[in-house]
Amino acid sequence: QVSELVQFLLVKDQKKIPIKRADMLKNVIREYRDTYTEIVNRAGRTLQQVFGLQLVEIDTKRHTYILINNLPRAEGEYLCKDKEKEKMGLLLVILSFIFMKGNSVKDSALWEFLHLLRVYPGKQHRVFGDVRKLVTEEFVRQKYLETTAIPLTDPPEFKYQWGPRAEKETSKKDVLNFVAKIQSKDPTFWASQYSEAKA
Amino acid sequence: ENREAMLNSRSNRLTEALEEANRLFDGVCRAREAALDAQFLVIASNIGKEKANELHSEMSAFDSTAFAEDLLTFMGINRTEVEESDDTEDVPGGFLPSDAWQTMGEEASKYFRRAPTFHYMMGSFKSESPVPKQRIERQKKASRGKAERAMPAQLKKMEESHQEATEKEVERILRILQTHFENDPDTPISFFDFVIDPNSFARTVENMFHVSFLIRDGLAKIELDEDELPIIEPVKPCGEREDSRAGARNQVVLSLDQKEWK
Repeated sequence: QVSELVQFLLVKDQKKIPIKRADMLKNVIREYRDTYTEIVNRAGRTLQQVFGLQLVEIDTKRHTYILINNLPRAEGEYLCKDKEKEKMGLLLVILSFIFMKGNSVKDSALWEFLHLLRVYPGKQHRVFGDVRKLVTEEFVRQKYLETTAIPLTDPPEFKYQWGPRAEKETSKKDVLNFVAKIQSKDPTFWASQYSEAKA
Repeated sequence: ENREAMLNSRSNRLTEALEEANRLFDGVCRAREAALDAQFLVIASNIGKEKANELHSEMSAFDSTAFAEDLLTFMGINRTEVEESDDTEDVPGGFLPSDAWQTMGEEASKYFRRAPTFHYMMGSFKSESPVPKQRIERQKKASRGKAERAMPAQLKKMEESHQEATEKEVERILRILQTHFENDPDTPISFFDFVIDPNSFARTVENMFHVSFLIRDGLAKIELDEDELPIIEPVKPCGEREDSRAGARNQVVLSLDQKEWK
């Protein structure tokens, strides 16, 4: 059953949507037994030892999991479809903006910023297509971004923060280094962000 | 209303509003008015919270405009050429190359610990590549819709595509055989001429595999000619029924290794 679970997890991870424990039970383990924890642990070990992937529970209440890459970053080309790469580019830009602006931004502020990069919510983008959908639905479903409604706003406004997948797949330190690289400055240039990233 | 005005860190409008609310409250004697006052307090405290947040983020000032420009530079923007387009006025001029986001993505992948996505390697006998390719696309679309049944659904489809690919091949070979015989009914084809592919041993084996299906289904038959070499011809569909039942159902094992093939 462990190898079935490993296969199940690998396939489910294709869409990068977090995997629910209920699905694991329904499709692989089929009934809740005390052995469930043992099976999941062993699957996690296999994933780590064979694939270098880490099974992380990102929501301990609703029991949802994601797979992240635990191997040290290798130099050179990354085997990844172009579409995926481009989306990661956009995502990194958004995550950087959110972090540098104090970990939370209003949707209007985010779109205003993306406007400067020729990315518009109302217009079909040459590379990303329906960008609004990509940001507000896909990235949110994948838990890269988290969106919360700002209360008592009319029309309703939302704010964006890092989602749990972003927290696990990258770090404030990495993102600050990215910003520093792009702007040819030292990360310490932004004192409060720097101390937050160090913590 | 006036939310933006209140949020302005230099404005005291929030404080003024709170003071006015306090004054008004003294005149309140009905429950409805008290409820309105409570509602106002909630809104005011939200605005207060937002103001506090803005203060924090202004501490290490981050110039997002400069960041955006630096990003464009990184993506390879050409600022000497002005883009002829219907873009809005306040976007800085310059031509962004089509691989701009590719460049960004290439850099971005260094910052994420993303698990590479896992896909089954499809098919082995891919003699007609367009056909299996369509199936792979359809499979992906199907699994997107039924996320929970991703695994069982995919496995089932993989088996089907194997069978269908073989059947298609068998049909194709039968048609070739029949066409040849339509054109030249009196000359049976040498079995070896028919199956051997001078350039590929694997292909030869495949061909023999497919021909064996035709024999099994009684659609073709192999006989020995005067020189004791096997020849193959299609079986006529009608009037030969009794013959095939009575006919010798022989099993033959053909072996061919690479040396012989050469």
